[in-house]
Amino acid sequence: MIKRINFWVIFAFLVPLLVAIPIFTVFLSFFDTTGNYLDLLKDTFLLKYLSNSFLILLGVLSLTFIFGVTSAYFVSFYKFPGVNFFKWALILSFAVPAYIYAYSLVAFFENYGTAFSILTYLFGEGDYNKNIPKFDGLIGSMFSISFSLFGYVYVLTRASFVFQSHNLIEVGKNLGLSSYESFFKIILPSARPAIVVGLSLVAMETLSDFGTVDFFNISTLTTAIYNAWISFDDLTTANQLSFVLLFFILLLFILENLSRKGAKYHQNSKGNKPIPKIQLVGGKSILATCFCSILFFCSFVFPVSQMTYWTIKFPKYFQDINFWSLNMNTLLLVFLSSLFLIIFSFMTNYGNRVSKNKLISYLSTFSVSGYALPGIILAVAFITFISWFSDFLSSIFGFNSFKNVFIGSVVGLVIAYFVRFFSLSYNGIKSGYSKINNSIDENAYLLGYSKLKTFSTIHLPYLKTNILLVGVLIALEIIKELPITLILRPFNFETFATKAYSYAAQDLLEAAAFPSLCLIMWASIFILFISKYILSEK
Amino acid sequence: MKKLIKIIGLTIVGLFSTLLVANSVFANEVNIFSARHYDSDVQLYEKFTAKTGIKVNVVSGKDKALQKRIKEEGKDSKADIYITADAGRLGAFQAEGMFQKGASSAALKKVVPANFRSPYWVGIAKRARIIYYNPKTVNPSWNMSYEDLADPKYKGRVVIRKSSNIYNQSLVASLIKNNGEKKTAAWAKGMVNNFARKPTGNDRAQILAVAAGEADWAVANTYYLALMLSGKKGAEQQAAAKKVMPFFPNQDGRGTHMNISGSGILKHAPNKANAVKLLEFLLTPEAQQHIVNNTFEYPMIPGVEANKLIAQFGLDFKQDLKTKVSNYGKLQAKALKVMNEAGW
Amino acid sequence: MNPNFLEIKNATFVASEKNKINNVSLTIKEKGEIVCLLGPSGVGKTTILRTIAGLQELKSGQINLKGKTISSKNFNLEPEKRNIAMCFQDNSLFPHFNVIENINIGAKRKNGSKFNYSDKDLIKILRLDGVQEKYPHQISSGEAQRVSLARSLLSRPDLLLLDEPFANIDTSLKEELQKKIKDILKEFNITTIIVTHDSYEAFFMGDKCGILLDQSLKQYDDPYNIHHEPNSLEVAKFLNRGVFVDVKVVETDCAVHSLSHPTLGEIRGKLVNNFPVGTTVKLLLQPEDLRHDDQSKLKLEVIDRKFRGTNFIYTLKTSSDEKIPVFVHSHHIHQHEKSEKFGIKTPIFIDHLVCF
Repeated sequence: MIKRINFWVIFAFLVPLLVAIPIFTVFLSFFDTTGNYLDLLKDTFLLKYLSNSFLILLGVLSLTFIFGVTSAYFVSFYKFPGVNFFKWALILSFAVPAYIYAYSLVAFFENYGTAFSILTYLFGEGDYNKNIPKFDGLIGSMFSISFSLFGYVYVLTRASFVFQSHNLIEVGKNLGLSSYESFFKIILPSARPAIVVGLSLVAMETLSDFGTVDFFNISTLTTAIYNAWISFDDLTTANQLSFVLLFFILLLFILENLSRKGAKYHQNSKGNKPIPKIQLVGGKSILATCFCSILFFCSFVFPVSQMTYWTIKFPKYFQDINFWSLNMNTLLLVFLSSLFLIIFSFMTNYGNRVSKNKLISYLSTFSVSGYALPGIILAVAFITFISWFSDFLSSIFGFNSFKNVFIGSVVGLVIAYFVRFFSLSYNGIKSGYSKINNSIDENAYLLGYSKLKTFSTIHLPYLKTNILLVGVLIALEIIKELPITLILRPFNFETFATKAYSYAAQDLLEAAAFPSLCLIMWASIFILFISKYILSEK
Repeated sequence: MKKLIKIIGLTIVGLFSTLLVANSVFANEVNIFSARHYDSDVQLYEKFTAKTGIKVNVVSGKDKALQKRIKEEGKDSKADIYITADAGRLGAFQAEGMFQKGASSAALKKVVPANFRSPYWVGIAKRARIIYYNPKTVNPSWNMSYEDLADPKYKGRVVIRKSSNIYNQSLVASLIKNNGEKKTAAWAKGMVNNFARKPTGNDRAQILAVAAGEADWAVANTYYLALMLSGKKGAEQQAAAKKVMPFFPNQDGRGTHMNISGSGILKHAPNKANAVKLLEFLLTPEAQQHIVNNTFEYPMIPGVEANKLIAQFGLDFKQDLKTKVSNYGKLQAKALKVMNEAGW
Repeated sequence: MNPNFLEIKNATFVASEKNKINNVSLTIKEKGEIVCLLGPSGVGKTTILRTIAGLQELKSGQINLKGKTISSKNFNLEPEKRNIAMCFQDNSLFPHFNVIENINIGAKRKNGSKFNYSDKDLIKILRLDGVQEKYPHQISSGEAQRVSLARSLLSRPDLLLLDEPFANIDTSLKEELQKKIKDILKEFNITTIIVTHDSYEAFFMGDKCGILLDQSLKQYDDPYNIHHEPNSLEVAKFLNRGVFVDVKVVETDCAVHSLSHPTLGEIRGKLVNNFPVGTTVKLLLQPEDLRHDDQSKLKLEVIDRKFRGTNFIYTLKTSSDEKIPVFVHSHHIHQHEKSEKFGIKTPIFIDHLVCF
């Protein structure tokens, strides 16, 4: 539109650039001296890492697809006992991070674990260990990750079901399709873009997972990069592995972007009647209720119960925790990070909107890939970059080192979170912005509103729901975030996540229960706070 | 709107200035990077502060990531002391030149056996990696060794955790040191053939597998059994632990494989004097007693009694003092290679 | 000397590669004039408005408002500083404000102009009483257009741009609104440019009309002149529902000119353009030009009949296979079926003989 460099455009350029720096660092830092990890790796292990990553990805995608789409289908189209409860209860699964789910899973099923205790309590002493199912870490990771992530697929698919299909379904009925046929021929294909977006989010989170696979001791691409880079200083290998990972991620990005574009065609504007829900009776109704109950139980009730059970059973650990400071630390990080992320995402989005510059738009697209970069890799890249940059400035200009301002400080944590979750907040705001027609801006200009005033009186109020939503999503991620916090935190600084991890690391999952429970509680509060908007049917 | 911006701006400035102040250096302090996560360690530091007035600051985290942070921070690092479990890790970090001499002060040299210290680091507590068995099904001869576990007669009866685990790497490193790489490679293959299941879970899970009858033999560190026996893991696990017997192998040879939790003073430590004070404190009888009663490790200095849960297994077993723990670090990569090639 | 209120000089408006309008020159002399730009869909009418509003850049030429250049090749005054209001064709209300809030946003513009109507008055005039508290997605598109109009009026602009302002409004309400809005614009002397594809609307609302065809401004004149004296075949074809028939120029010297057609015979009237006697030209015949007369000897065959409410349009065939439309009042006593003969009153007299 108006080709002039202004404040907004500069912002739109600088913020993504800043975010992109650590991502560049990951790759650039690998062109350096190198170790010999590849020798160890190349014969069997590289393939093993790849296949592990791939298997987990495949397993998680299948499970989240089945969980997410089926539950979304049931709650969107049918009435059955408990439907209104399940509608929001299923999103509580977001509150349980995969690694805490993994803790629960192991604790429950291990020899002499909780399952054993329950059986002993119910049926008296006995040799139950043989009858309690055992599964290896690969399956464990798949289930832990799936139960904690299927919410993405559920929420997005449900929204798409609610908003899109009504007319289509009526047309289908007119054409004489059975409900089975209309599901597979009409409902599912029409929701495909939403499902793909959900699945690609799941896929990115899965690939970047560290806590769960580390806990289960499963070697994946991410742990392999971590090992090659950090344990063995083998930068060549780390580089090669990272490129494989990047390739995966790139593929997902393309897929996701394509689907997002597809999804636009499906957006129905006003005058959409709510779907009349069909009352299920008999066996079908029981099936729907059972499916949702089991899903809700497995994804939320189970880990929460396990953690509650421990908290009650081992009250000693409960006293050991400085509850107040954990709360303050966690909330401080949440507050600062959401604040900065939202402000800067807004400015970047707005800058993008007013400048329409291709380069900026590419840069923003690239910078959002920070989301797919595993947190632990990102954290190390951040440290590497800051030290290099500080040393560089010191050697050239004689600056004082500023490493301590960024490494091991809340400032550094907030910046690292910023890089990691910029994508989330940028895209969240963007999706709101894309609903504001350009002519709205033009109208405001024509009514004499300057750009800043348009921004503050038109955009901000319009996007306030979006801001809330994005803010809460960031909060959820930060409450659950582990690897970045672990490496970059200041002295004597614990969050619920690091506290839980620290107990888990000393094989005291019992003590990890209370911080985990607090973490889940905070996350649940945030989720309930926005469930109204997530589940809106208007 | 403008007001809102002002308020937000002020809040940010305020928050950051508090944070920066909070981050600023206290004169009398010592900073620890720890890959050990014990809460009991923190209580110990509090005792130290009470005694000396020196504030102890801690960051705990994953071993390698912490090392990376120390390395990258370079001379700006505020870390004085690095604490980790496993001599292999200490050795590897020393090899990178990250420690400075002085960890083993004159006072410490007197109390800590030479095998468990170097000029760069000093052991704080000991643990043995031993064999566990199910007394109902098997009965080891007094001179059974780690090497014997690869005997085909135990096919399908042995459990041990994954090769990626540092304790296993150190154990295998000590085998390589004593038996050579070739023999150890054959041993590793034999072990894999004897596995009762794909390696999974931590050391405690291996002990539980024996208790549950999934296997007859397990390899795990000593303190895991004591942890279960202590009841900290609940009554069921306490009962399960009683079904399992510990066994100290290689008694007619070099002795049982020993490892340490240890710490060193970092190259760029800003508070070296305080760091030395803290290390010396950690090796006082008072501190050692605290450690052994909480983590169930063996004391590093004479005159301190191991916790009774550990002591009941017997304290007069022959420890492998011949194989210097500093070898664990050097042979780590070879150990991993041997295990990987065996499909461990 | 007072400068012209608005001057567009040799301007080229570009919407896309294919869609542009070259070399437009147009002047609004006095404040308060209403200009209608008339043209088919897709000709680029909206682009002109957007460019005047400052939302798009001018490719060449210049636009001056009240003597100040607001757009030229190298300069583009920001839209918010122009004091030009525009109503978009598709509704562009702020979705998070309700109707009354949307309207009042217009009132916040700070300028000196006087406007005596309040938001309440406009709501009444524009028949928006029932929807004040509703949100944009709850009202019809016609209502949304009126809200948008009210908002623009309240912002008291120097220049008001309306893009198809009555497009989505019911026919019954349309004429009433056209009248009311014209009255308001005139009362407050608001200079307005209206873009439309409806010639009746343009003729009613506009003091001046511009015809946009084939990437250029073909004609800019009074509505009367445009209708009766189109300056080119294209304009005539665009505006009218008539047909062109070949006629020979017979007589041009007298006050009344005379043409001849092989079937219709002599056609008299005033030639708009001059042609030498003896040439064959195309004459525009509009439905209202010929009169029905059952007694007439001149009879043509009916090939089609359309009922249009107030009248019928009969289509008649000449010997040379031309199809001529003729209006007949719908109260006319009898109807003519297809292939019946249909009498036309002679002699034929047409006020404006539009020939090319």
